Amino acid sequence: MDGPHDLGGRQGFGPVAVDEKEEPFHSDWEARMWAMDHSIRYPEDWNIDWWRHSRELIHPLDYLTRPYFDQWMQTYAALLVDSGIATVAEIVSGRATTPGPKVEPPLAAANVRKAAHHAARFDRDEGPAPGFGIGDRVRTRAHGIPTHTRLPAYVRGRNGTIERYCGNHVLPDASAVGRERAEPLYTVMFDAGELWPEAKGRRERVHLDLWESYLERT
Amino acid sequence: MSSRDSDKVAAIHRELHDHLPSEPALRVKALESLLVEKGMLDSRAVDAWVELYTEEIGPKRGAQVVARAWTDPAFKTRLLANATAAIDEFGYAGPATAHLRAVENTPRIHNLVVCTLCSCYPFSILGLAPAWYKANEYRARAVREPRQVLKEFGVALDDAVEVRIWDSTAELRYLVVPERPAGTEGWDEHKLAALVTRNAMIGTDRDLGRRTAR
Repeated sequence: MDGPHDLGGRQGFGPVAVDEKEEPFHSDWEARMWAMDHSIRYPEDWNIDWWRHSRELIHPLDYLTRPYFDQWMQTYAALLVDSGIATVAEIVSGRATTPGPKVEPPLAAANVRKAAHHAARFDRDEGPAPGFGIGDRVRTRAHGIPTHTRLPAYVRGRNGTIERYCGNHVLPDASAVGRERAEPLYTVMFDAGELWPEAKGRRERVHLDLWESYLERT
Repeated sequence: MSSRDSDKVAAIHRELHDHLPSEPALRVKALESLLVEKGMLDSRAVDAWVELYTEEIGPKRGAQVVARAWTDPAFKTRLLANATAAIDEFGYAGPATAHLRAVENTPRIHNLVVCTLCSCYPFSILGLAPAWYKANEYRARAVREPRQVLKEFGVALDDAVEVRIWDSTAELRYLVVPERPAGTEGWDEHKLAALVTRNAMIGTDRDLGRRTAR
Protein backbone atom coordinates (compact mmCIF):
# COMPACT_ATOMS: atom_id res chain seq x y z
CA MET A 1 0.00 0.00 0.00
CA ASP A 2 1.08 3.58 -0.58
CA GLY A 3 1.17 4.37 3.12
CA PRO A 4 3.14 6.72 5.35
CA HIS A 5 5.53 3.87 6.22
CA ASP A 6 7.13 3.96 2.77
CA LEU A 7 9.64 6.62 3.76
CA GLY A 8 12.67 5.98 1.53
CA GLY A 9 13.68 9.21 -0.23
CA ARG A 10 10.92 11.38 1.27
CA GLN A 11 12.19 14.90 1.78
CA GLY A 12 11.76 17.63 4.35
CA PHE A 13 12.32 15.68 7.56
CA GLY A 14 15.44 17.49 8.73
CA PRO A 15 18.49 16.25 10.63
CA VAL A 16 18.83 12.90 12.37
CA ALA A 17 18.80 13.17 16.18
CA VAL A 18 22.28 11.72 16.64
CA ASP A 19 22.86 12.72 20.29
CA GLU A 20 20.98 9.86 21.85
CA LYS A 21 22.09 8.12 25.01
CA GLU A 22 23.23 4.61 24.15
CA GLU A 23 21.12 2.31 26.31
CA PRO A 24 18.92 -0.65 25.44
CA PHE A 25 15.62 0.93 26.48
CA HIS A 26 14.84 4.59 27.07
CA SER A 27 11.84 3.88 29.32
CA ASP A 28 10.11 1.03 31.11
CA TRP A 29 7.09 1.04 28.84
CA GLU A 30 9.30 0.66 25.76
CA ALA A 31 11.02 -2.29 27.38
CA ARG A 32 7.68 -3.89 28.32
CA MET A 33 6.29 -3.45 24.82
CA TRP A 34 9.38 -4.80 23.09
CA ALA A 35 9.51 -7.80 25.40
CA MET A 36 5.76 -8.43 25.11
CA ASP A 37 6.21 -8.72 21.37
CA HIS A 38 8.62 -11.58 22.03
CA SER A 39 6.34 -13.24 24.60
CA ILE A 40 2.78 -13.06 23.29
CA ARG A 41 1.11 -16.34 22.32
CA TYR A 42 -0.99 -15.29 19.37
CA PRO A 43 -3.43 -17.13 17.11
CA GLU A 44 -1.94 -19.21 14.30
CA ASP A 45 -3.27 -17.00 11.53
CA TRP A 46 -1.26 -13.97 12.65
CA ASN A 47 2.14 -13.64 11.03
CA ILE A 48 4.87 -11.02 10.69
CA ASP A 49 3.61 -9.76 7.33
CA TRP A 50 0.01 -9.31 8.45
CA TRP A 51 1.41 -7.62 11.56
CA ARG A 52 3.56 -5.25 9.49
CA HIS A 53 0.64 -4.46 7.21
CA SER A 54 -1.53 -3.73 10.24
CA ARG A 55 1.11 -1.28 11.48
CA GLU A 56 1.18 0.40 8.05
CA LEU A 57 -2.58 0.94 8.42
CA ILE A 58 -2.18 3.26 11.43
CA HIS A 59 -3.53 6.68 10.42
CA PRO A 60 -0.74 8.63 8.67
CA LEU A 61 -0.74 11.42 11.26
CA ASP A 62 -0.28 8.88 14.07
CA TYR A 63 2.23 6.84 12.07
CA LEU A 64 4.50 9.83 11.57
CA THR A 65 4.16 11.27 15.09
CA ARG A 66 3.47 8.56 17.70
CA PRO A 67 6.48 6.93 19.43
CA TYR A 68 7.81 3.81 17.76
CA PHE A 69 6.89 1.21 20.41
CA ASP A 70 3.54 2.91 20.94
CA GLN A 71 2.83 1.94 17.34
CA TRP A 72 3.64 -1.66 18.23
CA MET A 73 1.08 -1.41 21.02
CA GLN A 74 -1.55 -0.03 18.68
CA THR A 75 -0.81 -2.71 16.08
CA TYR A 76 -1.39 -5.48 18.62
CA ALA A 77 -4.55 -3.72 19.80
CA ALA A 78 -5.87 -3.54 16.23
CA LEU A 79 -5.07 -7.21 15.59
CA LEU A 80 -6.88 -8.25 18.77
CA VAL A 81 -9.98 -6.30 17.76
CA ASP A 82 -9.81 -7.48 14.15
CA SER A 83 -9.60 -11.12 15.26
CA GLY A 84 -12.54 -10.72 17.63
CA ILE A 85 -10.33 -11.53 20.62
CA ALA A 86 -10.88 -8.20 22.39
CA THR A 87 -13.05 -5.12 22.12
CA VAL A 88 -11.78 -1.56 22.06
CA ALA A 89 -13.34 -1.11 25.52
CA GLU A 90 -11.32 -4.05 26.89
CA ILE A 91 -8.12 -2.60 25.42
CA VAL A 92 -8.80 0.80 26.96
CA SER A 93 -9.57 -0.66 30.39
CA GLY A 94 -6.99 -3.46 30.36
CA ARG A 95 -9.65 -5.77 31.80
CA ALA A 96 -11.03 -8.82 30.02
CA THR A 97 -14.83 -9.14 29.93
CA THR A 98 -14.79 -12.17 27.61
CA PRO A 99 -12.59 -15.30 27.63
CA GLY A 100 -9.36 -15.37 25.64
CA PRO A 101 -8.70 -17.39 22.49
CA LYS A 102 -7.85 -21.09 22.51
CA VAL A 103 -4.06 -20.92 22.28
CA GLU A 104 -1.19 -22.88 23.80
CA PRO A 105 -0.03 -21.57 27.19
CA PRO A 106 2.08 -18.42 26.77
CA LEU A 107 5.88 -18.45 26.80
CA ALA A 108 7.14 -19.03 30.34
CA ALA A 109 10.05 -17.11 31.85
CA ALA A 110 12.01 -20.36 32.12
CA ASN A 111 11.91 -20.72 28.33
CA VAL A 112 12.96 -17.19 27.41
CA ARG A 113 16.66 -17.99 27.23
CA LYS A 114 15.92 -20.79 24.78
CA ALA A 115 13.63 -18.51 22.75
CA ALA A 116 16.44 -15.95 22.60
CA HIS A 117 18.45 -18.52 20.63
CA HIS A 118 15.65 -19.32 18.23
CA ALA A 119 16.13 -17.78 14.80
CA ALA A 120 12.88 -17.97 12.81
CA ARG A 121 13.67 -18.83 9.20
CA PHE A 122 11.86 -17.49 6.16
CA ASP A 123 13.62 -19.49 3.44
CA ARG A 124 11.89 -22.56 2.03
CA ASP A 125 12.95 -25.57 -0.01
CA GLU A 126 9.91 -25.31 -2.27
CA GLY A 127 9.07 -22.74 -4.93
CA PRO A 128 10.30 -22.20 -8.48
CA ALA A 129 13.92 -22.26 -9.59
CA PRO A 130 15.40 -18.75 -9.85
CA GLY A 131 14.60 -17.09 -13.16
CA PHE A 132 17.45 -14.58 -12.92
CA GLY A 133 21.18 -15.01 -12.64
CA ILE A 134 23.82 -12.87 -10.99
CA GLY A 135 24.59 -9.84 -13.15
CA ASP A 136 21.23 -9.89 -14.97
CA ARG A 137 19.72 -6.48 -15.60
CA VAL A 138 16.18 -6.22 -14.24
CA ARG A 139 13.45 -3.61 -14.00
CA THR A 140 11.20 -3.40 -10.96
CA ARG A 141 7.42 -3.44 -11.22
CA ALA A 142 6.07 0.04 -11.95
CA HIS A 143 3.09 0.00 -9.62
CA GLY A 144 2.35 -0.79 -6.02
CA ILE A 145 -0.50 -2.93 -4.72
CA PRO A 146 -3.22 -1.88 -2.26
CA THR A 147 -2.18 -4.49 0.31
CA HIS A 148 1.20 -5.34 1.87
CA THR A 149 4.32 -5.40 -0.27
CA ARG A 150 8.03 -4.92 0.34
CA LEU A 151 8.77 -3.11 -2.89
CA PRO A 152 9.26 0.50 -1.77
CA ALA A 153 7.90 3.30 -3.95
CA TYR A 154 11.35 4.77 -4.52
CA VAL A 155 12.55 1.77 -6.53
CA ARG A 156 9.45 1.14 -8.62
CA GLY A 157 9.99 1.06 -12.38
CA ARG A 158 13.77 1.33 -11.94
CA ASN A 159 16.63 -0.59 -13.53
CA GLY A 160 18.95 -2.60 -11.34
CA THR A 161 21.33 -5.54 -11.39
CA ILE A 162 20.98 -8.90 -9.64
CA GLU A 163 23.78 -8.99 -7.09
CA ARG A 164 22.89 -12.21 -5.29
CA TYR A 165 20.32 -14.99 -5.15
CA CYS A 166 19.28 -15.47 -1.51
CA GLY A 167 17.25 -18.67 -1.85
CA ASN A 168 13.48 -18.98 -1.98
CA HIS A 169 11.81 -16.95 0.75
CA VAL A 170 8.21 -16.56 1.90
CA LEU A 171 6.58 -13.79 -0.16
CA PRO A 172 5.21 -11.13 2.25
CA ASP A 173 2.59 -9.92 -0.25
CA ALA A 174 0.99 -13.39 -0.12
CA SER A 175 1.44 -14.24 3.56
CA ALA A 176 -0.02 -10.88 4.62
CA VAL A 177 -3.29 -12.04 3.06
CA GLY A 178 -3.00 -15.52 4.55
CA ARG A 179 -1.34 -17.50 1.78
CA GLU A 180 2.17 -18.84 2.17
CA ARG A 181 4.14 -18.94 -1.06
CA ALA A 182 7.91 -19.11 -1.51
CA GLU A 183 9.60 -17.24 -4.32
CA PRO A 184 13.20 -16.61 -5.35
CA LEU A 185 14.62 -13.65 -3.42
CA TYR A 186 17.46 -11.56 -4.79
CA THR A 187 19.64 -8.73 -3.60
CA VAL A 188 19.28 -6.13 -6.33
CA MET A 189 21.73 -3.28 -6.77
CA PHE A 190 20.69 0.16 -8.03
CA ASP A 191 22.98 3.04 -8.93
CA ALA A 192 21.88 6.06 -6.90
CA GLY A 193 21.70 8.03 -10.16
CA GLU A 194 18.97 5.66 -11.37
CA LEU A 195 16.90 6.47 -8.27
CA TRP A 196 17.51 10.16 -7.60
CA PRO A 197 17.99 12.87 -10.22
CA GLU A 198 20.51 14.74 -8.08
CA ALA A 199 22.67 11.66 -7.48
CA LYS A 200 23.97 11.18 -11.04
CA GLY A 201 27.69 10.50 -10.98
CA ARG A 202 27.88 9.92 -7.24
CA ARG A 203 29.62 6.78 -6.07
CA GLU A 204 26.58 5.43 -4.27
CA ARG A 205 24.69 2.20 -4.68
CA VAL A 206 21.49 1.14 -3.00
CA HIS A 207 20.78 -2.55 -2.44
CA LEU A 208 17.36 -4.04 -1.72
CA ASP A 209 16.21 -7.62 -1.22
CA LEU A 210 13.42 -8.16 -3.73
CA TRP A 211 11.27 -11.13 -4.74
CA GLU A 212 11.10 -12.50 -8.28
CA SER A 213 7.53 -11.27 -8.92
CA TYR A 214 8.70 -7.69 -8.24
CA LEU A 215 11.10 -7.93 -11.19
CA GLU A 216 11.11 -8.25 -14.96
CA ARG A 217 13.99 -8.74 -17.37
CA THR A 218 15.16 -5.73 -19.35
CA MET B 1 -9.87 -15.21 12.57
CA SER B 2 -8.02 -12.33 10.97
CA SER B 3 -10.07 -10.46 8.39
CA ARG B 4 -7.12 -9.66 6.06
CA ASP B 5 -9.22 -6.59 5.33
CA SER B 6 -7.09 -3.43 5.15
CA ASP B 7 -10.07 -1.07 5.35
CA LYS B 8 -11.38 -2.81 8.45
CA VAL B 9 -8.03 -2.58 10.25
CA ALA B 10 -7.62 1.08 9.27
CA ALA B 11 -11.07 1.77 10.75
CA ILE B 12 -10.08 -0.04 13.97
CA HIS B 13 -6.98 2.17 14.19
CA ARG B 14 -9.11 5.29 13.91
CA GLU B 15 -11.37 3.98 16.66
CA LEU B 16 -8.38 3.21 18.87
CA HIS B 17 -7.03 6.70 18.20
CA ASP B 18 -10.31 8.17 19.48
CA HIS B 19 -10.54 6.03 22.62
CA LEU B 20 -7.04 5.19 23.88
CA PRO B 21 -5.32 7.50 26.36
CA SER B 22 -2.55 9.51 24.75
CA GLU B 23 0.16 8.44 27.20
CA PRO B 24 2.07 5.42 25.78
CA ALA B 25 2.91 4.02 29.23
CA LEU B 26 -0.80 3.78 30.07
CA ARG B 27 -1.63 2.12 26.76
CA VAL B 28 1.12 -0.47 27.12
CA LYS B 29 0.19 -1.22 30.73
CA ALA B 30 -3.45 -1.81 29.75
CA LEU B 31 -2.42 -4.05 26.85
CA GLU B 32 -0.17 -6.12 29.10
CA SER B 33 -2.83 -6.68 31.77
CA LEU B 34 -5.45 -7.53 29.15
CA LEU B 35 -3.18 -10.06 27.42
CA VAL B 36 -2.43 -11.70 30.76
CA GLU B 37 -6.16 -11.97 31.55
CA LYS B 38 -6.79 -13.41 28.08
CA GLY B 39 -4.21 -16.13 28.73
CA MET B 40 -1.94 -14.93 25.92
CA LEU B 41 0.95 -13.57 27.99
CA ASP B 42 2.99 -14.35 31.09
CA SER B 43 4.41 -11.13 32.56
CA ARG B 44 7.35 -13.01 34.04
CA ALA B 45 8.48 -13.84 30.50
CA VAL B 46 8.38 -10.11 29.71
CA ASP B 47 10.58 -9.47 32.77
CA ALA B 48 13.00 -12.15 31.60
CA TRP B 49 13.35 -10.71 28.07
CA VAL B 50 13.96 -7.22 29.47
CA GLU B 51 16.61 -8.54 31.81
CA LEU B 52 18.30 -10.56 29.07
CA TYR B 53 18.45 -7.63 26.63
CA THR B 54 19.52 -5.21 29.37
CA GLU B 55 22.24 -7.32 30.99
CA GLU B 56 23.48 -9.71 28.35
CA ILE B 57 22.42 -9.31 24.74
CA GLY B 58 23.53 -6.16 22.98
CA PRO B 59 26.13 -4.60 20.67
CA LYS B 60 28.96 -6.13 22.71
CA ARG B 61 28.14 -9.34 20.90
CA GLY B 62 28.57 -7.76 17.48
CA ALA B 63 31.79 -6.12 18.63
CA GLN B 64 33.19 -9.47 19.66
CA VAL B 65 32.30 -10.95 16.27
CA VAL B 66 34.00 -8.06 14.46
CA ALA B 67 37.12 -8.36 16.63
CA ARG B 68 37.28 -12.08 15.82
CA ALA B 69 37.00 -11.26 12.10
CA TRP B 70 39.92 -8.81 12.48
CA THR B 71 42.17 -11.37 14.14
CA ASP B 72 41.15 -14.64 12.49
CA PRO B 73 41.12 -14.57 8.65
CA ALA B 74 39.43 -17.99 8.43
CA PHE B 75 36.61 -16.74 10.67
CA LYS B 76 36.28 -13.59 8.57
CA THR B 77 35.89 -15.73 5.45
CA ARG B 78 33.15 -17.74 7.18
CA LEU B 79 31.46 -14.55 8.43
CA LEU B 80 31.32 -13.00 4.96
CA ALA B 81 30.10 -16.28 3.43
CA ASN B 82 27.39 -17.11 6.00
CA ALA B 83 27.08 -14.68 8.88
CA THR B 84 24.28 -16.59 10.62
CA ALA B 85 26.45 -19.69 10.93
CA ALA B 86 29.48 -17.61 11.91
CA ILE B 87 27.76 -15.75 14.76
CA ASP B 88 26.33 -19.01 15.96
CA GLU B 89 29.88 -20.18 16.64
CA PHE B 90 29.43 -17.82 19.62
CA GLY B 91 25.82 -18.98 20.20
CA TYR B 92 24.57 -15.58 19.03
CA ALA B 93 22.00 -16.54 16.39
CA GLY B 94 18.49 -15.66 17.54
CA PRO B 95 15.63 -13.24 16.87
CA ALA B 96 16.07 -11.54 13.46
CA THR B 97 19.39 -13.13 12.59
CA ALA B 98 18.35 -16.31 10.76
CA HIS B 99 19.41 -14.65 7.50
CA LEU B 100 22.31 -12.40 8.45
CA ARG B 101 24.76 -11.00 5.93
CA ALA B 102 28.01 -9.28 6.87
CA VAL B 103 29.31 -6.53 4.58
CA GLU B 104 32.85 -5.26 4.84
CA ASN B 105 34.19 -1.70 4.81
CA THR B 106 37.45 -1.04 2.97
CA PRO B 107 39.40 2.18 2.29
CA ARG B 108 37.30 2.52 -0.91
CA ILE B 109 33.92 1.24 0.34
CA HIS B 110 31.60 2.33 3.13
CA ASN B 111 28.46 0.35 4.01
CA LEU B 112 25.33 1.80 5.59
CA VAL B 113 22.27 -0.17 6.78
CA VAL B 114 18.68 1.10 6.93
CA CYS B 115 15.14 -0.24 6.86
CA THR B 116 13.02 2.30 4.99
CA LEU B 117 9.73 0.35 5.31
CA CYS B 118 9.73 -0.43 9.04
CA SER B 119 12.79 -0.74 11.27
CA CYS B 120 14.26 -4.21 10.78
CA TYR B 121 17.36 -4.73 12.91
CA PRO B 122 19.52 -7.74 13.91
CA PHE B 123 18.42 -7.88 17.57
CA SER B 124 20.31 -10.95 18.69
CA ILE B 125 23.67 -9.47 17.78
CA LEU B 126 23.20 -5.69 18.21
CA GLY B 127 20.46 -5.57 20.85
CA LEU B 128 17.81 -2.86 20.61
CA ALA B 129 17.91 -0.44 17.70
CA PRO B 130 18.66 3.18 18.57
CA ALA B 131 15.68 5.55 18.31
CA TRP B 132 17.27 7.43 15.41
CA TYR B 133 17.41 4.20 13.37
CA LYS B 134 13.63 3.89 13.72
CA ALA B 135 12.95 7.60 13.14
CA ASN B 136 11.41 9.09 10.00
CA GLU B 137 14.49 11.23 9.36
CA TYR B 138 16.94 8.35 9.07
CA ARG B 139 14.57 6.04 7.21
CA ALA B 140 13.75 8.74 4.66
CA ARG B 141 17.24 10.13 4.11
CA ALA B 142 19.75 7.27 4.40
CA VAL B 143 18.94 5.97 0.90
CA ARG B 144 18.90 9.39 -0.73
CA GLU B 145 21.53 11.56 0.94
CA PRO B 146 23.78 9.10 2.77
CA ARG B 147 26.79 11.41 2.83
CA GLN B 148 24.79 14.20 4.49
CA VAL B 149 23.43 11.76 7.05
CA LEU B 150 26.92 10.43 7.73
CA LYS B 151 28.18 14.00 8.20
CA GLU B 152 25.56 14.48 10.93
CA PHE B 153 27.11 11.46 12.66
CA GLY B 154 30.54 13.04 12.31
CA VAL B 155 31.66 10.82 9.43
CA ALA B 156 33.19 12.83 6.56
CA LEU B 157 33.58 10.65 3.49
CA ASP B 158 35.78 11.48 0.54
CA ASP B 159 33.76 11.56 -2.72
CA ALA B 160 35.99 8.77 -4.04
CA VAL B 161 34.71 6.37 -1.36
CA GLU B 162 31.77 4.34 -2.64
CA VAL B 163 28.74 4.23 -0.34
CA ARG B 164 26.85 0.96 -0.37
CA ILE B 165 23.44 1.29 1.22
CA TRP B 166 21.56 -1.83 2.33
CA ASP B 167 17.80 -1.35 2.69
CA SER B 168 16.53 -4.39 4.64
CA THR B 169 13.32 -4.94 2.68
CA ALA B 170 13.17 -8.72 3.24
CA GLU B 171 14.12 -10.96 6.19
CA LEU B 172 17.84 -10.55 5.56
CA ARG B 173 19.61 -8.46 8.17
CA TYR B 174 22.93 -6.71 7.72
CA LEU B 175 26.02 -6.29 9.88
CA VAL B 176 28.74 -3.88 8.82
CA VAL B 177 32.29 -5.08 9.47
CA PRO B 178 34.26 -1.86 9.98
CA GLU B 179 37.95 -1.51 9.14
CA ARG B 180 40.47 -2.45 11.77
CA PRO B 181 42.26 0.72 12.86
CA ALA B 182 45.97 1.14 12.21
CA GLY B 183 48.20 0.92 15.26
CA THR B 184 46.36 -2.02 16.79
CA GLU B 185 48.81 -4.69 15.68
CA GLY B 186 49.19 -7.35 18.33
CA TRP B 187 46.05 -6.34 20.24
CA ASP B 188 43.97 -9.21 21.54
CA GLU B 189 40.34 -9.78 20.65
CA HIS B 190 39.04 -8.34 23.90
CA LYS B 191 40.94 -5.06 23.53
CA LEU B 192 39.93 -4.78 19.87
CA ALA B 193 36.25 -5.41 20.64
CA ALA B 194 36.24 -2.38 22.93
CA LEU B 195 36.98 -0.20 19.86
CA VAL B 196 33.93 -1.38 17.91
CA THR B 197 30.94 0.93 18.31
CA ARG B 198 27.34 -0.04 17.73
CA ASN B 199 27.06 2.70 15.11
CA ALA B 200 30.07 1.32 13.23
CA MET B 201 28.18 -1.97 12.83
CA ILE B 202 25.18 -0.08 11.37
CA GLY B 203 27.46 2.10 9.26
CA THR B 204 26.99 5.51 10.90
CA ASP B 205 30.50 5.42 12.35
CA ARG B 206 33.68 4.66 10.39
CA ASP B 207 37.07 5.63 11.73
CA LEU B 208 37.55 3.62 14.91
CA GLY B 209 41.23 4.62 15.13
CA ARG B 210 40.44 7.77 17.11
CA ARG B 211 39.64 5.47 20.03
CA THR B 212 43.02 3.72 20.05
CA ALA B 213 44.55 6.64 21.96
CA ARG B 214 42.79 5.51 25.15
